Amino acid sequence: MSSIVGQAAPEGSKMAVLLKGSRGWRAHSLVIGLLVILVLLNGFADPGLVDMFQAGLLLQTALPLVFVAFAQTLAVLTRGMDLSVGASMAMVSVLTATWMGGFDGGSSWHLLPILGIALGIGLLNGVLICILRLPPIIATLATWSVFNGVAIGLLEQDGGEVPTWLTNLVTGESFGIPNSYFILAVALIIWYQLSRGRLGRSIFAVGGDPERAALNGINVKRTLIATYGLCGLIAGIGGLMLAGATSTGQPTAGDAYILPSVTAVVIGGTSLMGGRGGVGLTILGVLILTLVNSLVQALSLEAWVGVLLTSVLLVAVVVVRAIPDLIKGRA
Amino acid sequence: MNRRITAQNATTIGAFCVATALFLFALIYQPSFGSSNSLSQVAIFAAFMGIAALGQTLVVLGGGMDLSVPWTIALGGVAFTQWSSSGIPPGVALALVIVAGVAVGAVNGIGVSYLKVSPIVMTLGVGGIVQAYLLHVGLGSGTGDAAPNLAQSIATGSVAGIPTLAIFWLVLAVGASLVLSKSAFGRRLYALGMNERGAYLAGVRVNQVRILTYMASGVASVLAGVVLSGYLGEAFVDMGGPYLFGSIAAVAVGGASILGGQGSYWGTVAGALTLTFLSSVLSMFDLGQSALQIAYGLVIIGGVLFGRVAAGMARSGSRLRRRA
Repeated sequence: MSSIVGQAAPEGSKMAVLLKGSRGWRAHSLVIGLLVILVLLNGFADPGLVDMFQAGLLLQTALPLVFVAFAQTLAVLTRGMDLSVGASMAMVSVLTATWMGGFDGGSSWHLLPILGIALGIGLLNGVLICILRLPPIIATLATWSVFNGVAIGLLEQDGGEVPTWLTNLVTGESFGIPNSYFILAVALIIWYQLSRGRLGRSIFAVGGDPERAALNGINVKRTLIATYGLCGLIAGIGGLMLAGATSTGQPTAGDAYILPSVTAVVIGGTSLMGGRGGVGLTILGVLILTLVNSLVQALSLEAWVGVLLTSVLLVAVVVVRAIPDLIKGRA
Repeated sequence: MNRRITAQNATTIGAFCVATALFLFALIYQPSFGSSNSLSQVAIFAAFMGIAALGQTLVVLGGGMDLSVPWTIALGGVAFTQWSSSGIPPGVALALVIVAGVAVGAVNGIGVSYLKVSPIVMTLGVGGIVQAYLLHVGLGSGTGDAAPNLAQSIATGSVAGIPTLAIFWLVLAVGASLVLSKSAFGRRLYALGMNERGAYLAGVRVNQVRILTYMASGVASVLAGVVLSGYLGEAFVDMGGPYLFGSIAAVAVGGASILGGQGSYWGTVAGALTLTFLSSVLSMFDLGQSALQIAYGLVIIGGVLFGRVAAGMARSGSRLRRRA
């Protein structure tokens, strides 16, 4: 994980600091340790889960959040935040169910304009943030509201028809392995390529220090607009996963993913101050959230226990990570 | 300093202009909007938004953000209803609810100030813990109990034809803006929001000021919850939902900088009025939820930009005056 962070760091010295720095390693061992503990607890609580297909099913329920949190990570890496991920999801979910299904000559080729719209929502955020200089929270709060409204206008209630190939893609299996594993792998490969590419490096540089990035010849505005565009697109893929898993279009389902996406990013260890972290960590965060909830179900505890555990975990992880700094600050 | 205040007033005046324009439009398009009955309804709805956004304004002025508002609102409504119906006198129950609001705010403030957790994370986490408590006491769908008479009479009663709640809100607004503009606390809060390091070096106890703003936010939220439950007739866990981003939108439309240090509560009052008038206007056209959300989003962007233009005009105006 740390090598990904190091790769993108603009300078050798900074990379060395990141690799040596106790903060980076301790933070990652914390998340990995939590994940291992949760896997073991889940295994003991419900031995039925220790099965490739049961675990694949669990992973399938986590896929929408994987992509939304992927998108959120990109915004957070640039010191921003994207509340409109819920609207991108809702738009893609609704359009998938109305444009690609059996209605009005719908065709699977409509997937391209649908993802184009998700990209457009993100680019609009980027323009509002860079050109009109609105704070990211306000800009994306506004576009969230607008495109949620559009989604509700297109499809008032859950419904529509999702093409079977999409449902099969999300819920089916290939070579005897549930597809959810492959989809997760694709998400990781996309991130790996992105983080090594020019845009990925620019994202880390801009998030780490915008002024220095600009002095180093990085076009900060273009980077930010591209980042938010990508945010919208990837959140839209999350909507596609949701539509595939539920087989219906859901105009309001996206809202439930906004705050969990931030939670997953933070638990994973991406800094809200920008420039440090990555999607690999965020996916660990998503898995932790998913396993907490499955543990609560396996032990047939009430829903509030899951809410409590998640919230306490969120604050506790952040505090534990900050302990070295707090001690240094005192001394 | 003088210039900042002028620009600030211009922003607030700009926000009131937007609200007034919407109000006049509603009045001309549908004269029955001016009936005392419908005006009372609008005032009550604006008051819910305004009270919920009072705490958010203070926290945002100090450079933070409070995402625990919706759950704290629900805590106010649910706890007041439950404690009152279990036989505690309403006055005592209200006092206990306020203590609970202070406690939630204190935890938020201490986490942000001493544990250095970012406001978004801390208030998200604390909001989740409050939500878990509410779900635990078994109120997923509602308390089943009717909201106490005290809450109902504050929410729906009126004095000389003016809703009690609107009067309460006005008193609150005057008090809050006096504290912000005249008291030492207000000056320290602006200083903290503009430059925390600078404020600290100037001798402001930044942590103390910040914790107070989160406590105020907790109290404002539980009070909003108490009156909201009185209006709805019952309390339930999701009752605060619309006020999470609604309160932030009211603050932003009112011209405050979400980054802290700039803004006023009168601006937020105008923001709450704008958002409430907007939904009245749209309901006249019978356009439904979809159009309302689209318009909300556009007004957030428009309001923030308009406030900026007003501030810019005030700045260039004062520059011209100085030159003359």
